[in-house]
Amino acid sequence: MKKILLLFPVAVLALLVLLPFLWTISTSLKPLTEVNRYPPEWVSPSMSLKPYGDMFFYLPFSRYTLNSLIVASSATMLTLVVGSLAAFAFARFRFRGRKQILLVLLLSQMLPGASVIIPLFQLLRTAGLYDTHLGLILVHTAVLLPFVIWLLHGFFSGIPTEVEDAALIDGCSRLEALRRVILPLALPGLGATALFAFLGSWNEFFFALILTNTDATQTIPVGIGLFVGEFEDVWNQMSAAAVLFSIPPLILFMAMRRTFVRGLAAGALQ
Amino acid sequence: MRRYTPYMLLTPALLFTVFILVYPMAQNLVNSFRDVSLVREGGGWTGLLNYQHVFGDPVFWLAFRNTVVYAVAGTLLALLIGLGLALVLDMHTGAMSSFAATLYSIPWVISPVVAGFAWKWLLNDHFGILNYWLSSAGIARHGTSWLGNPHTALFCVMVARAWQFYPFAMVMFIAGLQSIPAEQYEAASVDGASRIRRFFHITIPNLRPVSSVLLLLGVIWSFNDFNMVFVMTRGGPINASMVLPVLVREFSFVHFDLGKGSALSVLIFALLVTLSYLYLQVLARRERG
Repeated sequence: MKKILLLFPVAVLALLVLLPFLWTISTSLKPLTEVNRYPPEWVSPSMSLKPYGDMFFYLPFSRYTLNSLIVASSATMLTLVVGSLAAFAFARFRFRGRKQILLVLLLSQMLPGASVIIPLFQLLRTAGLYDTHLGLILVHTAVLLPFVIWLLHGFFSGIPTEVEDAALIDGCSRLEALRRVILPLALPGLGATALFAFLGSWNEFFFALILTNTDATQTIPVGIGLFVGEFEDVWNQMSAAAVLFSIPPLILFMAMRRTFVRGLAAGALQ
Repeated sequence: MRRYTPYMLLTPALLFTVFILVYPMAQNLVNSFRDVSLVREGGGWTGLLNYQHVFGDPVFWLAFRNTVVYAVAGTLLALLIGLGLALVLDMHTGAMSSFAATLYSIPWVISPVVAGFAWKWLLNDHFGILNYWLSSAGIARHGTSWLGNPHTALFCVMVARAWQFYPFAMVMFIAGLQSIPAEQYEAASVDGASRIRRFFHITIPNLRPVSSVLLLLGVIWSFNDFNMVFVMTRGGPINASMVLPVLVREFSFVHFDLGKGSALSVLIFALLVTLSYLYLQVLARRERG
């Protein structure tokens, strides 16, 4: 009984903090007549999944979803390749400038997007990469790299050097040792890092907003962020898009809460 | 040959760093002393003119003030909520508490754009649930446009930002609470200290290091934050909720004045370097202490 009494405030607080999101979910299930009704109601008999279908039909969300998938998965792969090479260097070599390079990487994590956006825009435009998937993939990769290197560095350092030494004695080169021994052992860590990177790119709004310009390249957050100003009359379809777009992050978070929380704490404290 | 291996491994990562950090910083500095426009030929050197334009623009000072309020007050609010929830969760153990922690973390996990969207809809003047409740309770008139009013817009965006950031603070506070040695509490109980005394004399002092890290990190991140303001108000009405990152976009891509935008970017960067330096100092002190 006491336990239930203690749980009551916890549940009330959960409802309270999730209020904006719950209201969006409720809206995403209503027909427009119900959305534009006063007084508003949380649940109504005419609720259905129709806005979810409409949004793909009336708004360009199927295209946005495809763009988001292309950009986020490519950026993830590229970040992992480049990041594991760098993390391997930090985890296994002592060399001049190691500390300084780590510091620069750490600082670039504090990077104010607003401070680099204009030159990036100019550069991508000159290179013909403005409003292309590739341009956004490169920018997302660069933005995600520091954190990814930092995470992988931790995972690689946790693998005992003996395993690798054995491979070197067997005649492997350092790079072969990385590919054949370290990477397989670090696979769980690589998986977790990949998820972070994917989410980072999937949720990213600022660079995507400014470096893309047409439906052919714009990602889902850009679609939602821009439509908020323009298509205010279809709140139910926009809510459906917002909810659907949140499902991958939520699933990944639920599945990997422990690693996620540890990564959060580590990323902040290091 | 082996001496060069680490550098070869680092080369791709360093190229990306040059691409995202070194080159833009240098180019920004150059831009800021030139006449660069998005829509016409320019390119002449103009000395400090762009900076004069920024400093002479009243919107800059308004945005500067707003950014400080948004970053500092928003972060403090997030820390308070985070601490409160961490204390509640700390009283419970087991699966339920960990499930609740997951639920409480959702605002941090969803995209900032979705968070901004959800708040904007919640605050909608006619059909938002918040106005319905407030007017039913007689607190506010139905149809109050919280985001359309220059006096309340910034405050609303700030609350939404705090809502997005508090889970991070909560998680860090939980870790901080768990790392307080139980002996300290036990010793205090033996000495007959009340719950409240224990809270103020043991819990709070022990959480001080994590709080200072959170405060600085939160201020830095909110200082950089473009998303919440852009999605909810675009800086309006009439710049009432304008913040510096949104103003960079305004100068550069709405007024097409890349030179002025670059000058503002350089100023933001200088402010952030100062804040980051403070952050590193705090971390260093933590490591020693």
